Amino acid sequence: MSDGVKVTIDDREIEVAKGTGLVETAEAAGIEIPVFCYEPRLGPAVGACRMCLVEVEGLPKLQAGCTLTAQDGMVVRTAATSKRAAEGQHGTLEFILVNHPLDCPVCDKGGECPLQDLTFRYGPGSTRMTFAKMTFDKPIPVSPLIALDRERCILCYRCTRFSSDVAEDDQLIARNRGAYSEIATFGEDPYRAPFSGNVIELCPVGALTSTQYRFEARPWEIQDVPTVCGLCPAGCNIRATTREGAVKRVQSRNHPEIDGGWLCDKGRFTYPHLRAEDRVGEPLQRGPLGLEPVAWDAALDRAEELLRGARGTIVTALSGSETNEIAYGLGVLLRRGLGAHSAVLDESTSAALDAFRAPLSTIGDAELVVIVGDDDVVDRAPAVDLWLRKARRGGAEIVTVGARGSVPAPVGGAADALRELTDPAHDLGKRLRASERAVLVWSGPGGGGGARLAEAAHKLGFDGKPGCAAFHLPATPNPRGVSEAWAAAADGDESDPEPIGLLVVSGDEAAGSPDVRALAEQAEAVIAITMFHSLAVGWADLVLPATASLEREGTSMNLEGRLQRLRRTVISPVPDELAWLSKLAARFDAELSPHAAVVFEELSERIYGGLRLEQLGEHAALPARAAYVAPEPSRAPGAEAAQRAEGHFVGTLRLLRYTPLFSGHQVERVAELQFQRPEEEIALSSGDAGRRGISTGDVVTVRSNGTSVELRARVDRKLVEGVARVADEHAADLHAEVEVVKA
Amino acid sequence: MSSAPEVVFAGTDGGAITDLAAYEAVGGLTALRRAREMTPEQIIAELDASSLRGRGGAFFPTGRKWSFVPKPDQNPRPHYLVVNADESEPGTFKDREIMLRVPFRFLEGCLIAARGIESQHVFVYIRGEYEHEWEILVSALEQLREAKLLGGVTIVLHRGAGAYICGEETALLESLEGRRGQPRTKPPFPAIAGLYASPTAVNNVESITTVTPIIEMGGAEYAKLGVEDSTGTRVFSLSGNVVRPGNYELPHGYPLRDLIHEVGGGIADGRTLKAVIPGGSSTPILTASEAEKVTLDFDSLSKAGSAIGSAAVIVLDDRCCMVQLGVRVSQFYEHESCGKCTPCRVGTRWLTHILQKIESGRGTHADLDLLLDVGDRINGTCLCPLGDSDAIAVASYVAKFREEFLQHIEEASCPFHGASSLDGIVAPTDVHEAHVGPHEIHRPLEVVA
Repeated sequence: MSDGVKVTIDDREIEVAKGTGLVETAEAAGIEIPVFCYEPRLGPAVGACRMCLVEVEGLPKLQAGCTLTAQDGMVVRTAATSKRAAEGQHGTLEFILVNHPLDCPVCDKGGECPLQDLTFRYGPGSTRMTFAKMTFDKPIPVSPLIALDRERCILCYRCTRFSSDVAEDDQLIARNRGAYSEIATFGEDPYRAPFSGNVIELCPVGALTSTQYRFEARPWEIQDVPTVCGLCPAGCNIRATTREGAVKRVQSRNHPEIDGGWLCDKGRFTYPHLRAEDRVGEPLQRGPLGLEPVAWDAALDRAEELLRGARGTIVTALSGSETNEIAYGLGVLLRRGLGAHSAVLDESTSAALDAFRAPLSTIGDAELVVIVGDDDVVDRAPAVDLWLRKARRGGAEIVTVGARGSVPAPVGGAADALRELTDPAHDLGKRLRASERAVLVWSGPGGGGGARLAEAAHKLGFDGKPGCAAFHLPATPNPRGVSEAWAAAADGDESDPEPIGLLVVSGDEAAGSPDVRALAEQAEAVIAITMFHSLAVGWADLVLPATASLEREGTSMNLEGRLQRLRRTVISPVPDELAWLSKLAARFDAELSPHAAVVFEELSERIYGGLRLEQLGEHAALPARAAYVAPEPSRAPGAEAAQRAEGHFVGTLRLLRYTPLFSGHQVERVAELQFQRPEEEIALSSGDAGRRGISTGDVVTVRSNGTSVELRARVDRKLVEGVARVADEHAADLHAEVEVVKA
Repeated sequence: MSSAPEVVFAGTDGGAITDLAAYEAVGGLTALRRAREMTPEQIIAELDASSLRGRGGAFFPTGRKWSFVPKPDQNPRPHYLVVNADESEPGTFKDREIMLRVPFRFLEGCLIAARGIESQHVFVYIRGEYEHEWEILVSALEQLREAKLLGGVTIVLHRGAGAYICGEETALLESLEGRRGQPRTKPPFPAIAGLYASPTAVNNVESITTVTPIIEMGGAEYAKLGVEDSTGTRVFSLSGNVVRPGNYELPHGYPLRDLIHEVGGGIADGRTLKAVIPGGSSTPILTASEAEKVTLDFDSLSKAGSAIGSAAVIVLDDRCCMVQLGVRVSQFYEHESCGKCTPCRVGTRWLTHILQKIESGRGTHADLDLLLDVGDRINGTCLCPLGDSDAIAVASYVAKFREEFLQHIEEASCPFHGASSLDGIVAPTDVHEAHVGPHEIHRPLEVVA
């Protein structure tokens, strides 16, 4: 290596790249330098805990190894070969244990606790401390999700550093001083932020623990199953901890390119929805008294009956949250078996961005990021939000163009914004062209699944620049995978039957969609595949129970275009979709295996170039960029503009609906997450609120065409004028133009 | 009284100069005018010639420190001068008097130093408790501003909020930036990345105040005062069991015994000298016979196993219990520990517990060994010198007065039987007691009103 440095640690010589930290250098040599406060993802080393004390030749005092970088010719001795270093580390552990309570028998961290492990390796076997230990009230509810035990806390500050320097929510702080320091939230308010749960994994002791996992299991009786989160399009890699066939917690599995080891609270804490009270446990058929349970064979018979009866007039409503295999299986049954090629999916998809695909981590290294669209990135793909913050800390400029952007734009103006950016005279566009590390992001509806973004990226010359990338953030986790797998199942054109003889609704996204409900009203019959009773009641003729993504074996494609493998973490209480889809398909002479691995093989032959499941590995790779292929032009070129031009009457505001992160049928069913649910409020710009005499906190009536809703107002200084922003679930049936008056 | 010339307090005649015109009348602003004709390099050269060493306690050569600040063409970030007026070392109260009596000489030094390191911004971090001193400086600064003497330099007078640790330069910078006052690891050093990650020189009030007369008389002239390794004069804070405690400006090299017996009027109430802490509580204690032999300079005190530190001389007579001294001093460090690093946060509290146990008569020989061993584990492992200082101070009390410690142990009580002059001089303990669990072992402490 031309710019490597040679370091000697414990008489072992190792060469590492210049700039490598000493802890990593030792690791490369197979030597442990124990640490507590050191976590490179939190920023520069602080050297606070003094666990990593080592002897460095030429320096009189012991040094905090974590703060050192490998220098050529450095000679280091760790506890293994230096009595002084061993005493130093022993001393640190002794000091930590002076006030640490003997909680191991009742502490959730026991068995997977770095303090226990390091004490065994480097610490004292007994205590010399004969005074009373410090005590604190415990546990403190930091939030409904996190419990704090101040007696166990070793004040390594990993949690506060995460809060201020990574998630940048500044809610978890240290207060007081010295031995009386304590971790707390400002004003005793709960820690309410999208990434709060990460402090549980960061905490090296049992000070910050998950309330959901409290007293649930011990490390020797659990099994961890690696899989991928299926709740948003980022596809963060996770590990599900299971005990006796139930998921007990979800942790990060650190894919350095996708999630960097972080998880959002939705991905981490939503798993209890698998055991929701209103989970559909068996097929239901509409009878005189409503939906009644029916045996599986009878259900499949009824399904066959409905399918045969409606042949030629079947439409399928797909969800962007299915696995590729389920989507393909549906395609085999409906398209191959019944010639029912018509399907609806809430969003468009496109392969055009494959020419600019890159790991999400590319955002973290960017110098300029431009985000178009009206939705906050954190609501669509939280992992991207963390990468943006990292980029900004590294000096990047982040420009948002949208209804709440740093560059204000009208609602639905994302496509126009891209057009402006690609104008050769546009200043920001010029900077994007000139940069080697620029990223474009589309965060909002429309965009042709990334097609518009790809066109812009191409015009801006992103081709061939690995540091330049473009990301389209869809609303569902796997729309492209679903769309392409459905398409791959057979050849045949859509027919748009009118009227719809049978609507097959697959998945809860579709089941909960007002547009799909509208279709269902027109359809003569409806089969719904859904997880929750309330989503199907009242409009489905036959309900077949669905599984959750944690219960599925299969694959999905994230917003990067990366194919990842899902593994079944627990056996679901209902049969896997492929199991009964294959039976049904057989009745229509279409062959479908009930095993996801076999289905993947078939699918892969058709659209993934024969890629084998094993090749995906534990941390799937992102394939190299494809050549740019110009996408089909926007089908309704004026569609978005038309939306805007829709009569903006004096006094009315354009209603901007959005889907907050902590919404959705899964989140609604988790008790500990209810405090994160969106407030029932409507956001107005300062100007609009001022003109109506409305201040934050006022109750207002929001009216449009015969419907009205009462909400609390909030003045949003970032919101562009003429717009009122409401969470989808609070907007009910309001139309696009609303009147807002003080109640 | 010594007949040595005053440099820091020159022209004050024992009083204070808080009016700009009065200051100019005694020659004030001459140095500033001269400095404005000099280049930054020339100013630093003058400081080098003076061999002025930092008056805060670290005694680092001031000229050399300024030369570490990179030139603007090497580093595009703005330069900052930060003045450490957080004076909190026990026994030290000289900066207080300097700000009260010669505020203009101090501010003039700020302006000269700013020129020396090519800075347009000066931040003076004053301990929060020095409210009156801050008001004096505000008034002086206002007068300078009205007389249009600042020359484009902004001087910010920032008040601290009661933390000794904010006297540590990197903790001070953190506090100034609005964060918790906890030290940073070095490197990077403040000269390269200090305030707002920019080149910063951090200097003590007395050092900055001394810059003015150095420029006025010339560095070489200043170096003729004092002794070779410690040039110039020093303002010594004399306190404890002396007849005339107070601040005294004397040349370095002045005999300690003369400070105590001549200048300070000797031991009060006809008692006898027992011990002297020569440079603030962080310096090892000297026995009476050691104190009689040393001179107040870097070399002499180092050779005696102590240090000149912050030039705070604490005199203790034969009524002082050394174990109680240990308790009180250790309580100070426990209370002031920032809590960032494990050995200091936990160790200072543990040392205090053990000392209290010995003082209460319940200590054993094993406790004395434990006390020294715990101190050994603290010294050299901390992030900053605060923890080290507790260990060093306590170790010196045991080393020099071991028999007294043994007496507490073997007689199972304090030999002073409530007659020590340190009796009841204890730290406020309401905060301390709140976090101690049931079955308290050490003797509960009381606050002396």
